Amino acid sequence: MFFILAWRNIWRNKRRTLITVSSVLFAYVLATALLSFAEGFQRQLKETMIRQETGYLQIQDAYYFDEPSLDHTLEYGDNVKQAVAEFDEEIDYVVPRIQGFSLAAKEMSTRPAMVTGILPGQENKIRNLSGNMVRGEMFSEDDDFAVIAKGLADLLKLDIGDTLILIGQGYQAVTATGMFEVGGIIEFQLPEQNNTAVFLPLKEAQWYFAADNRLTNLIIMPADPDQINRLASELQSRLDDEWYTAKTWKELMPDMVGLMQMQNTVYTGIAWIFYIIVGFGIFGTILTMLYERMQEFGILLSIGMKRIQLGIIGLIETILIGLLGTTAGVLTALPIVYIFQQFPIKFTGEMAEYILRFGMEPVFPFVIDKHIFINQAYTVFGITLLIGLYTMRKMYSIQILEAAKN
Amino acid sequence: MQTVIKTESLSKTYTNTAVPVHALKDVNLEFKQGEFTAIVGPSGSGKTTFLNVIGGLDKPTEGKVVIDDVDIATMKESQLFDFRLRHIGFVFQAYNLIPVLTAVENVSFIMLLQKKPKKEMEQRAREMLDQVGLSEKLHVRPSQLSGGQQQRVAVARALASKPDFVLADEPTANLDTESAFNLLDIMARLNKEENITLIFSTHDQRVIDRAKRVITLVDGAVDKDEHFKRN
Ligand SMILES: Nc1ncnc2c1ncn2[C@@H]1O[C@H](COP(=O)(O)OP(=O)(O)OP(=O)(O)O)[C@@H](O)[C@H]1O
Ligand SMILES: [Mg+2]
Repeated sequence: MFFILAWRNIWRNKRRTLITVSSVLFAYVLATALLSFAEGFQRQLKETMIRQETGYLQIQDAYYFDEPSLDHTLEYGDNVKQAVAEFDEEIDYVVPRIQGFSLAAKEMSTRPAMVTGILPGQENKIRNLSGNMVRGEMFSEDDDFAVIAKGLADLLKLDIGDTLILIGQGYQAVTATGMFEVGGIIEFQLPEQNNTAVFLPLKEAQWYFAADNRLTNLIIMPADPDQINRLASELQSRLDDEWYTAKTWKELMPDMVGLMQMQNTVYTGIAWIFYIIVGFGIFGTILTMLYERMQEFGILLSIGMKRIQLGIIGLIETILIGLLGTTAGVLTALPIVYIFQQFPIKFTGEMAEYILRFGMEPVFPFVIDKHIFINQAYTVFGITLLIGLYTMRKMYSIQILEAAKN
Repeated sequence: MQTVIKTESLSKTYTNTAVPVHALKDVNLEFKQGEFTAIVGPSGSGKTTFLNVIGGLDKPTEGKVVIDDVDIATMKESQLFDFRLRHIGFVFQAYNLIPVLTAVENVSFIMLLQKKPKKEMEQRAREMLDQVGLSEKLHVRPSQLSGGQQQRVAVARALASKPDFVLADEPTANLDTESAFNLLDIMARLNKEENITLIFSTHDQRVIDRAKRVITLVDGAVDKDEHFKRN
């Protein structure tokens, strides 16, 4: 009965109710669309960073993270291989790397170079290096030539068939020197990378750094990225933690995690601004309603209706408006987000170039994430509940005679 | 005959005004079962105040309002809600009805709050609307009824729950002469048939003649208390 009363009451002023309901709808749709875009953007950013930089999970030497030098390489021996093999089911593939700075030289000119020893097959799985070759070819595991970035090649005027000289420091302060034929040139968007990258087959790099069987990073790509925290700690428990450490991408890129959190805060803040505006809208409607119906309330209380009963009707009315708005919001937001998922926002021009430099596609699909939809619905519901409780309190404290007299 | 309401040295003084207003002064009255009483008097004489005080909507400054051997002036607000619901029917000057409910739903409303069985409730509501001549308008909302019809629904609602007595503050104030007579006739008939105690205030000379007892208030005090024989 109270429900029927409340339901009919909200339709007493159809236009006002429709306006209020649609403002809830708009806030819900805007907030959901914004957060679905943000989520899509973040997932892409995260995915890119993981593929370009750290992978989901790494096994490193215990000191490497704080002091990344070749002295803190890990031995890629039976210990590690066995530990990894134990989680065969959960691991999709591993990518071993050995990496260190050196000087790259041709005749009289030298440039700083980031030398990375890789297994091309494994490396391609994570970041498709071969796909970015501009000249020559990618080496295979057993080759002994180098692939260098285009920027570096231009700076040193190196071409296919030329000889690259590398000078640096290897494992345990050994002087590292090597001469490698350039067999391929690869292009990167990020200038920093394009001007320094040198790739060698893993074995050649280990030989160059005098670090036989050693790695700076063993990247682990899990079958289920949601399980990385557990996987990291279980891997760690199988390894001697005096020598080895298993770190997730979150630990390896704390700045990145911070940035993502900041973005989340900003987006959530914007969503809240929508809600606050809408909250005041509902609040205004309810207040007007309260004052318009004072006399009616006075009479209801006179004839024997209890304050709490009247309050409950007020609460139901507010909640109904919130629920209608949210339901309409979900029904509107779903197709909109779906459309932007199917036909993502594409950046063009300078913006696109800028994004490409970071190795990211300038295409941002929205994500349909049920948590976003549910959380936003909870938020709207929470706000209407608050307003409803206020309405209830107001109705509860009506002065009967004053109200009836009006 | 049984006494339904008894007031003992009832006084009400408003002190929230610049000069204290003595709205009721030492009112001693008794209302018996089945009486049909008009409270009359010039504007500001205390009619509304009197009805509010005996209806438990307002507290007297002094004195007692004894109903069913209980002094309702000492009751707490929460008890008064229940008391009004179970013992008193109200008819106000205007806006009596819940606009979103139909006539029959409005009449059922008090019985609903009293948690009467649904069947009994509906039957009684129809019967009462029939009594006030609105059997054709059962499912019509108040906005589609005339002022007189709305007041008749309000009377039907007040009587439907069979209260101990019904209080009506100027029920005819907003009605044209014909509707006013019509409403009073209905009230007089129901008073007789249902033997319900009815007290209404008015300063409308036209409808005073319908009452069997007329109490005149002047400046908050009882000036005259007359009984008439009527059929
Ligand atoms: N809430 C109040 N605060 C202060 N004074 C009041 C209040 N209510 C009524 N009064 C005063 O009490 C006196 C009696 O008022 P009341 O409303 O009972 O008169 P009434 O006989 O019903 O008048 P009317 O015929 O105009 O309805 C008046 O002088 C009025 O001004
Ligand atoms: Mg009055």
